[in-house]
Amino acid sequence: MSNHDDFDHKLAALQGLNPPAPNAARRNQALDAAMLAFDAEQKSATQGSSTISRLSSMFANARRNFVMDNRLTYGLGTAAVALLLLPLGYQLYTSTAITPVGVPPVTVTTTADPVPLGGEAEQKVEAPANGTAAMETPTADLEIRLDDRAEANPPVEEGEADMAVMAPAPEAAPLGEVAKPVMRTLAQPGGAQPQMSAGVQPLTESFAEPMMVAPTDPSGDAFAKFTESPVKIVKNEPVSTFSIDVDTAAYSYVRRALNEGWVPEPDAVRIEELVNYFSYDYPAATDAATPFKPTVSVYPTPWNDKTQLVQIGIKGYVPPVTEDTASNLVFLLDTSGSMDQPDKLPLLKRAFGLLVDQLGENDTVSIVAYAGSAGVVLEPTKGSDKTKILSALDNLSAGGSTAGAAGIELAYQLAEQHKVQGGVNRVILATDGDFNVGIDDPEDLKTYIKNKRDGGVFLSVLGFGSGNLGDDTMQALAQNGNGNASYIDSFKEAQKVLVADAGGTLDTIAKDVKIQVEFNPAVVSEYRLIGYETRALNREDFNNDKVDAGDVGAGTTVTALYEITPVGSGAELNDPLRYETDAAATPDAAAATEFGFLKLRYKEPDSDTSKLIEVPIGKDLAVDSLEAASADDRWAAAVAAFGQKLKGSVYGDMAWADIRKLAQGARGEDEAGYRAEFMGLIDMAAVLRPNVVPATPIEETEVAPVPAVVPEPDAVQVPEAAPVPEAVPAPEALPAPEAVPVN
Amino acid sequence: MPRESSNLVQRSFALMPQFIDTKVAEPPRVADETLIAKAVGGDRRAFGQLVERHYDFIFRTACKWCGKVSDAEDVAQDVCVKLASILRSFDGRAAFTSWLYRVTLNAVRDMQRARSRRGRNVDRYAEVAPDEFLPEQEDSAAAKELWTAVRRLPDQQRDAVLLVYAEGMSHAEAGVIMGCKEATVSWHVHEAKKTLRGLL
Repeated sequence: MSNHDDFDHKLAALQGLNPPAPNAARRNQALDAAMLAFDAEQKSATQGSSTISRLSSMFANARRNFVMDNRLTYGLGTAAVALLLLPLGYQLYTSTAITPVGVPPVTVTTTADPVPLGGEAEQKVEAPANGTAAMETPTADLEIRLDDRAEANPPVEEGEADMAVMAPAPEAAPLGEVAKPVMRTLAQPGGAQPQMSAGVQPLTESFAEPMMVAPTDPSGDAFAKFTESPVKIVKNEPVSTFSIDVDTAAYSYVRRALNEGWVPEPDAVRIEELVNYFSYDYPAATDAATPFKPTVSVYPTPWNDKTQLVQIGIKGYVPPVTEDTASNLVFLLDTSGSMDQPDKLPLLKRAFGLLVDQLGENDTVSIVAYAGSAGVVLEPTKGSDKTKILSALDNLSAGGSTAGAAGIELAYQLAEQHKVQGGVNRVILATDGDFNVGIDDPEDLKTYIKNKRDGGVFLSVLGFGSGNLGDDTMQALAQNGNGNASYIDSFKEAQKVLVADAGGTLDTIAKDVKIQVEFNPAVVSEYRLIGYETRALNREDFNNDKVDAGDVGAGTTVTALYEITPVGSGAELNDPLRYETDAAATPDAAAATEFGFLKLRYKEPDSDTSKLIEVPIGKDLAVDSLEAASADDRWAAAVAAFGQKLKGSVYGDMAWADIRKLAQGARGEDEAGYRAEFMGLIDMAAVLRPNVVPATPIEETEVAPVPAVVPEPDAVQVPEAAPVPEAVPAPEALPAPEAVPVN
Repeated sequence: MPRESSNLVQRSFALMPQFIDTKVAEPPRVADETLIAKAVGGDRRAFGQLVERHYDFIFRTACKWCGKVSDAEDVAQDVCVKLASILRSFDGRAAFTSWLYRVTLNAVRDMQRARSRRGRNVDRYAEVAPDEFLPEQEDSAAAKELWTAVRRLPDQQRDAVLLVYAEGMSHAEAGVIMGCKEATVSWHVHEAKKTLRGLL
């Protein structure tokens, strides 16, 4: 082997490869991009523009987070190897003379070449590379260390090592999450918080029903992780605070999943979004000054006959049609290569066509596309000039990689330039969720969007397609932009979001709406907020106007559900304390007539100070039987039960048939057919995730047999711990370097 | 509403392509080092010249490494953009091209990594992309096979083999590019040969 053997000759054939000459257009594009980056770099160096520095630090953080995240998903074994190898890798890294310092590993494609359209070439290219290119990041060494770690560990990298090392375990269904449905202890596991053990329930049980269609993780979609809100003891924690959530993206996602025949990952099922997808017939507020009034009802819990549900509903004020508020809309459209699928860009075009149809003389529309290049596709145009807008939409095509951050900046710039005082100023971002390669950490984009929001330009996000959907990013962006995130899986959904609910999507009537409920320990012993996990606020945040919360659009209904355990019902999950005296808790007689007290804060769209609405939740609101509750109440309960069952909640379980029956009886008029569609979803879910309990009386202490757990896909193998010390062999064990042909 | 273009970055790069016209006879060659120093000092002309001069090198390198023309174009553009911010970290201890080689290599890897993260499912079905760049027709089928096999090697092994055999570098030179010791390069080559023997 130390000679020029046959194999060396063979390998020498590698020299014969002559790459083709570079394409002149691409070459110029690259050179233009470089100059743009250079200018941005110079600008940041000399002026220290705040935007640029903020963005660059944002990139850096994102990168760091990405590295961390991935490492976590490698699995414990790799993590350990990584820790061992890091110093070694670093050693190797520092030992060379030319290791580039500060290489931003983030792929940034800033092309100065926009989609050519109607002779506006000159103006279109004002894509400022602010920040995108100006990325001096200290993270490069981290990146390189990562390289070196792999390098110092070659024995692991056999064959498809790239795959093995890089492929993270399916993000949306890590072991702990999957194991959760395992713990289906329907009832009260005496005292202990069931939550605690959910993740560690032995997996052995999980093969009890191997025929079960295993929920799969078909997607690369990313969801923010959350744990179900636990049961709280009123005496310890009487106050519950959360921000409202008007998004409905989770429902559309779940619908798509079920219709395609797979069970969505638990983190994709946000129950409040499922419930809020439907509109409820709450009495609407009468004028813009008090944009809504809360409606509270209390009725028995369908999945637990000893507890009750408290339903809090609000409906946003609907301004009369005569008030034609001017809108300034900037469509920020993802035209990256991944959008080139029938359910993405083409659907997006048709969806925005719907929206454009509703615009008038007063409104302005601009279109910014981002995909490698961030370019203005349509300069601000009157809403009445529909032909121009539609043809600009029509000319979009997918291709290139995604450089979302540059696009966002450009979109905001346009929106700010044409800001309508007192009107709707909104950037509407449509994407399949994959933002700038490397910025998948939602935290960092938040700051940017938040600042823009404070400047009066809001953001809504429409998600398209699956397989790539960065749901967590979408949520983070919309929440911080005072907007909502919707997931468009079909033309019908586009119609709902952009036409039927257009008011709610575009016209914010109240912002930072927070709800705080104080429960009465004399009446309620335990409570649990259903859903809203990702919207929980601290108790003190309620009165702090600086803390951001959800926004309500015109005519939107928002519903929140609490499951409460009345004192003395015997349904408490927590045992009473042995040493606690009840003396202090004795309330006065008046208070014993109330379950609790509801407080609601909101700000008017242009205001910075909040207003307070207070309503007691009287015992007189309670109805004795589920049948006596209104159809809307029962519908909300059915949807909540559906969501809980679908995500394998540890609280309460109803048989699918029972959920169906409950929903069936609560469908009401259902003019648009949304509720009928939901009935179909129940059937679908019942097939995909069969009952684990009999449909009838629920045994209190039964630990249900458990559905199969998703097996870890074979493809995702956690590499074995490598024999570390041998990673770099001693030189003498090697072929002498000089024996290799050096030309 | 009146257009306030003041806070937009002007399209100042529009003039860029003109000052280096490849059709005209090549201007007197300024050393890379001079250009780098000027560019780091903020001279955009020098920067443009430098990038222009090395674009082909970057592209060809990327091409060999990723084996796909379209990918190579993306990578090359990335590298050009990155150069704007990282050029000042070039410390002149090695030749500029060696440094650039490594930057390009890292960019290729970034791209491949991003891809494996994003399109895990997609790429599995498209192992050989339509525009995969392979030796020309007159080359033997064996050479194609060889290239395909080499590109599927683990990163480090592939880099080592390509640097040593395709680029004709010594192990020491390859070590400089790869940022590791000569012995490590030898080891990677050794391992790669073991793997390739099994395949070819």
